[in-house]
Amino acid sequence: MTDGAPLLAVRAVARTFGTQTALEPTDLAVWDGEAVALVGPNGAGKSTLLAILAGALAPTAGSVERRLGTRTGWMPQRPAHYGRLSARQNLELFARLEGEAHAATAARGLVARFELPDDDRPSASLSVGNRQRLDLALAVLGDPNVLLLDEPTAALDPRQRRRLWETAAAVKDGGGAVVLVTQNVEDLERVADRVAVLLDGRLVFDGTLGEYQRSEAADVFA
Amino acid sequence: MRRALLILRKDLVVLRRSPALVVILVAYPVMIAVLIGLMATYANAKPRVALVDEAGLPSSFTLAGHTFHVDRTIDQVSRNVKLIRMPAAQARRELQSGRLVAVITIPRGFLATLKALVSSPHLILDTGNGGITPRVRQQMQALVYNLNLRLQRAFITSDLHYVDLLLHGGSGEIAGRRFSVLGLDRAGTLLDRLPPRSEVLELRDFVHDAQLALALTGTAIRATANPIQLEEATQKGRTWALSAQVQAYALALTISFLALLLAAGALAAERDENVIGRLARGLVGLGQLVWAKIALAATVALALGLAIALTFGIAIEAGNVSGGEPWQRLPLLCAGLLLAGAALGALGALIGGLARETRTASLVAILLVLPIVFVGLVPKEVVPPAGWVSDAFPFVHAVRLFTSSLYDASPWGPFGRELAWLAGIGAAYGVLARVAARRLAG
Repeated sequence: MTDGAPLLAVRAVARTFGTQTALEPTDLAVWDGEAVALVGPNGAGKSTLLAILAGALAPTAGSVERRLGTRTGWMPQRPAHYGRLSARQNLELFARLEGEAHAATAARGLVARFELPDDDRPSASLSVGNRQRLDLALAVLGDPNVLLLDEPTAALDPRQRRRLWETAAAVKDGGGAVVLVTQNVEDLERVADRVAVLLDGRLVFDGTLGEYQRSEAADVFA
Repeated sequence: MRRALLILRKDLVVLRRSPALVVILVAYPVMIAVLIGLMATYANAKPRVALVDEAGLPSSFTLAGHTFHVDRTIDQVSRNVKLIRMPAAQARRELQSGRLVAVITIPRGFLATLKALVSSPHLILDTGNGGITPRVRQQMQALVYNLNLRLQRAFITSDLHYVDLLLHGGSGEIAGRRFSVLGLDRAGTLLDRLPPRSEVLELRDFVHDAQLALALTGTAIRATANPIQLEEATQKGRTWALSAQVQAYALALTISFLALLLAAGALAAERDENVIGRLARGLVGLGQLVWAKIALAATVALALGLAIALTFGIAIEAGNVSGGEPWQRLPLLCAGLLLAGAALGALGALIGGLARETRTASLVAILLVLPIVFVGLVPKEVVPPAGWVSDAFPFVHAVRLFTSSLYDASPWGPFGRELAWLAGIGAAYGVLARVAARRLAG
């Protein structure tokens, strides 16, 4: 923790879709050097909370607070890039939108770092795993100090999964934070040092990994 | 603004990478324009009218010394309507089933009544309830007018023959009775031989005055029969396909389809691609996204509109069509294409925002663009409500804008008015599109 304020926090945020409540009023704060795993069954509100933290979805109630200088990188669960553009074109476009001075160079660097196909193929024709890596590459554009990842390893092979853990660890070790939605026990154990459990849109547990593993909430992974 | 331009550039790259989509987007409205053109041509085709000849008219007959050829008269009428001889029962059946638009019947005794010159014979016109019935009625009225004119001329010629007999003398025939007339010329000659007594002098004066008066009779009767005559001067003008109106409609129709579909589909596609959330994180606001789609529609409308105008221009120059293509007006047309494309793009963005999904947005855009175009084709002088409805959409303003920018002698008045209309409704649709775009982020 530094200077008393979390890197990123939500205060009493709630979200409804029509008459459907996806997230009850919830508080959550993410501190420097922390990796928080959001776990819970399908439809618990994890992705909704992560999208609100990322600023991708406006809450219907409550507020999102960012410490000055916080830069978030977001990787949603579903592919979120232009299918007609190649991987490099996508990275270059979003680098320009992020205000990157050398967008083409940055895009080339990310293509190499995440071992993405460097050809003219539309990204819609790439494998699910490659598309997930492209989304991860897009998430780290702009050098974020908070990485928000929604089930990031679902379609990755073991090698790419290790690479993702390394990326998350690098952000955390650099004084940033990682928030990770996962259904994968290995992700949880490798990345997280804190766990928040959501059930039916409510935050029912928030504690360290050790506390979680000893609690009844761990039944989520049972 | 820079970010909206980046999204616009991305959309243009996506279009360039989707050649099949571009071909469909261009070919479809062109096909619709051609079909509407064919429909307009069909509307000008000859309607079928039956001729029921109960009088049994001969192929020709003589009246007042003038020979009338029935088949030639039918041929003359057939320039405007397809006149088909058929029996009364068949004609009635086909009129009821809509295969004929009218039946004209020549009743029994028609020719005898005409020749007797006691009362006017009648032609009977039965019409259906179709939309072109008024036109057929006009054609038939024109036929009767032309027949009356020709009969009138024949009667005048015949009457003038008697006047000629009175003037110059000779022999003639009325109702089968032959007769001889001395004539005023001969009467004058005979009077000249008589001693100039006062009675003879009075008779000479009368004969002289009568000669002068009767000499003017022919001109006077013809002038009275036709106080006004229409003189038709045929000029070599543009063909229908290259007319100013067709060019303006083709431009407006093509860009309406393209701009509406493109803006609607492109905005909804941002949600389908799941990038709205990524963009909404302070990269590109929803307002900027709507702007980018409007700019996309305007850019593509300008490019395609210019290509169509150039194609028309080349065809007009190659065909040496009178009037030529107004090349110096192209900058004005470009401004019109941009604004019309933007207004249509704003409407498209509204559809995209409301539909939220590319396939739905495209379908709604297609479903909407056809009535917008068709209601714009209905003359507001004929159906005023159609004019009010079409005023709320960019299509009809685009047509007027293109017509005035290309062909009006002084285009600034109408051009400015339509520009203001497009700017006004474009801004209104733009604001609504921005509100509707909130649905994309939900």
